[in-house]
Amino acid sequence: MKKKNRLPALAMAGPVSVWMILFVTIPMFFIIFISFMSRGIFGDVVYDPSMESYLTLLDSTYFNVISKSLKVAAFTTLACLGLGYPFAYYIAKRPKDQAAKYITLIMIPFWTNTLMRLNSWLLLFQTSGPVNNFLQNSGITDAPVRFVYTDELVALGMVTSMLPFAVLPMYSSIEKLNKSLLEASADLGADAKTTFQKITLPLTFPGIFSAIILVFIPSLGVYTVPDMLGGGKVLYIGNIIKNQFGMIRNWPLGAALSCLLIAITGLLIFLYTRFTSIEEMEVV
Amino acid sequence: MSQRAKKKKSLKLLADFYAILIYAIFYIPVVVMMVFSFNDQRNNYYWAGFTTKWYGELFNNHALTDSLWYSVVIAVLATLISVTIGTIGALGLRKFEFKGRRFINQMLYIPIIVPEIVLAVAILVVFMTVGVRLGMGSILIGHCTFCIPYAVVTIKGRISGDDNSMEEASMDLGANRLQTFFRVTLPSIMPGVMSAAFLSFTLSIDDVVMSNMLAGAKQSTLPVLILSMSRSGVTPDANALTTLMILIIVIAMVLNNYVKSALKKRRKKEVNL
Amino acid sequence: MNLKKLTAVLLMLVLVASLAACGGGAAEEPEASTELNIYMWNEYISDELIANFEAENNCKVNLSYMSDNADAITKLTAGGGQEYDLIMTCDAYMESLVAGDYVQAINFDNVPNATANINEAYWAAKEYCVPYLMNYIYVVYDTERCPIEITGYQDLVDPALAGQIGSVDGARNLFPIALVALGYDPNSTEESEIAEAYEWLVDYNNNVVAYGGTELNITNGTVSVIFTYDGNASWAMSELGENNNLVIAPFESDPVQLGFDLYVIPKGAAHVDLAEKFLNYICVPEVMAANLEEFPYSCPNDAAVAVASDTYKNDPARDFGYKQNVFFQEDVGEAITIYNDYYQKLKVGE
Repeated sequence: MKKKNRLPALAMAGPVSVWMILFVTIPMFFIIFISFMSRGIFGDVVYDPSMESYLTLLDSTYFNVISKSLKVAAFTTLACLGLGYPFAYYIAKRPKDQAAKYITLIMIPFWTNTLMRLNSWLLLFQTSGPVNNFLQNSGITDAPVRFVYTDELVALGMVTSMLPFAVLPMYSSIEKLNKSLLEASADLGADAKTTFQKITLPLTFPGIFSAIILVFIPSLGVYTVPDMLGGGKVLYIGNIIKNQFGMIRNWPLGAALSCLLIAITGLLIFLYTRFTSIEEMEVV
Repeated sequence: MSQRAKKKKSLKLLADFYAILIYAIFYIPVVVMMVFSFNDQRNNYYWAGFTTKWYGELFNNHALTDSLWYSVVIAVLATLISVTIGTIGALGLRKFEFKGRRFINQMLYIPIIVPEIVLAVAILVVFMTVGVRLGMGSILIGHCTFCIPYAVVTIKGRISGDDNSMEEASMDLGANRLQTFFRVTLPSIMPGVMSAAFLSFTLSIDDVVMSNMLAGAKQSTLPVLILSMSRSGVTPDANALTTLMILIIVIAMVLNNYVKSALKKRRKKEVNL
Repeated sequence: MNLKKLTAVLLMLVLVASLAACGGGAAEEPEASTELNIYMWNEYISDELIANFEAENNCKVNLSYMSDNADAITKLTAGGGQEYDLIMTCDAYMESLVAGDYVQAINFDNVPNATANINEAYWAAKEYCVPYLMNYIYVVYDTERCPIEITGYQDLVDPALAGQIGSVDGARNLFPIALVALGYDPNSTEESEIAEAYEWLVDYNNNVVAYGGTELNITNGTVSVIFTYDGNASWAMSELGENNNLVIAPFESDPVQLGFDLYVIPKGAAHVDLAEKFLNYICVPEVMAANLEEFPYSCPNDAAVAVASDTYKNDPARDFGYKQNVFFQEDVGEAITIYNDYYQKLKVGE
């Protein structure tokens, strides 16, 4: 047998492998390692094995913050799926070149800064802002309504900034849907509802799955939206982790919280891979 | 039948209305942002009258323009690096069997499935421990680390099964590996490469979490600067800057479309002749 | 074959490593005194002042901004001198910073204006810092919209103020008012007292609408009471014009916090010469007086206050009777972790 030339394999798969090992594998293992160390007086890491950080996590504070973050992420994901699927379906049913234009229209706002767009919601709903002025001038309300710094505004900010990440993967899997299958289903006498349940939904599941991953996980770790729209009153897990590496300077605790977050998302992925292969995940 | 047609029509109307509503959600913040770039009030918290002065003052605000430039440079570099590594990586991971391929494939999903803040602090901790100085290099590495996986996944999706036969044919006809790569492989996956580039650029230019963690002393990216403004009110010159950015992008896209369709028409004419 | 593989892997490693080093390499500046790196609050120093200093000294000033006081501590303890020449921090941290050997002693021969003009009473840890501005953190409210009269911190937890308060943020700004209201030392290190203060702050937090942006929230009517810095109150008062309804809460006995923002030179700073020139420059009375026009905070530089405009001198935001009844934020040492834990708990909620 001819001896295989390994150079092409090395040259092609090498860079990506090295990059991933250096900047993903090593940091990830290091963060797990740090989570089992202790904190020094000046916020430095002391290499003295300890379970202290994990014991701290048992405090109800962290349980509360995690359950709250999970709730917000779940809400955002459901809202994005519910709003996004019909929209993705609508675009996918357009002629090809028209659909491309529609997709570009979704992307354009994303080249403006996300934070600037969040700030716009704040400006719009400000106590002396346009919406309140309109409500008062038209006599709907007598006094200004406080929209800012409410959970509802945070929810609006979360959903609007995450929605495209739900629409894009769902669009591409609906678009790939084989038309003849739908026609066959109709020919065989299935009504629209049955076709949707039996054909469309199962076949577009990979897109839905990607949408869930792409929305749920970033929502779980986000801290900019509650920071900007929530008035700094409510902290989520993302804020808490950031604070451990910033103002509170407890790296081991921050690392332990990160590990917990990895475990949560890992569990989620595991559950989903029971039904579908992760390799099928579509991003765009 | 006409009943059904009527129903269909009203359903279509409803669908159109729904789509408009969703687009409204996307575009209302953009419009508000543009309107408030003309607001005559420094802290930009309520409407205080019309002015165009921020567009003039924009170019005197070096913190703002410098950070935009910094963001663009990082986004371009991150895109180039990520797409290059991502393209050859996607091909390599698809084509070659080697020990650890499964492992690398799994690693590629980590930046996608782990919240960004976790990856950011993990990289920060390693950099601090090893003593890497924070700055453009560290931000760039951070951005590439989440862009590469997206690039690989996007491109891998476009590599079709019959690529191999085309490449073998090319090699049989005497082309070497590099020639085959540039003449056969690359063109066939070009759409994937383009969308990977597009995605990388978008992710990088808008990133705040990774940049905030890994930024050094001298410069911060535009999103990080805006975040630091957010508590005391984002100033209207930032609105003006973003408005200009989006106008430039839209004009470039319209021009690009126009040129493309003009070229197509000409080509058609030539063919017809 | 194996050797070839090894070389390739090594080559790749070198490539990546050199990329990583890029960040450091590019930052190296051959000429030391042509640039100055400052880490401080955003919107806290006049652009004109910076531009004039740059022109005068033919240098480039790089400003980067923190989003929390503790950010500065993180930078300082993580070897801030590699990146910054001046870092802004506050009086509460000075003791730890000096003890931890994170800051350099300043050669005041090169900063004569500071020695000449800055009020000694407002200058702690004198060898290591130059005070920049100072702030009273007090309560201001709108007499039209606020349902009650506020004469002490205890009034802030009145349920009548639900959804009415805008507040500054930070553990070391919030806990002291609770401790004072409960009759404890505002710089307490007793866990039981801090825990009690936490319970008090839960009620306070229920009344608070938003942390940060206090001056904006009171001018646009989102809140009717603010717990804020004097400079921010000054902005709100001038923004609302002559006939505003804002009053500084007439405190009867509770002291208010007086905090200092000061510059330190981190250990190992590269451009000490320029840093000292800068410190000397901001202590020039006329320079600081001009800066005060834009940032009307209280100022420890007596000479600058003397030459400041009448608008500054007659600012209603600094016209209150209990200026002498103040407390300072002291370094609480290890107890800071107790504060942080309870602060976090406060923000997470039940």
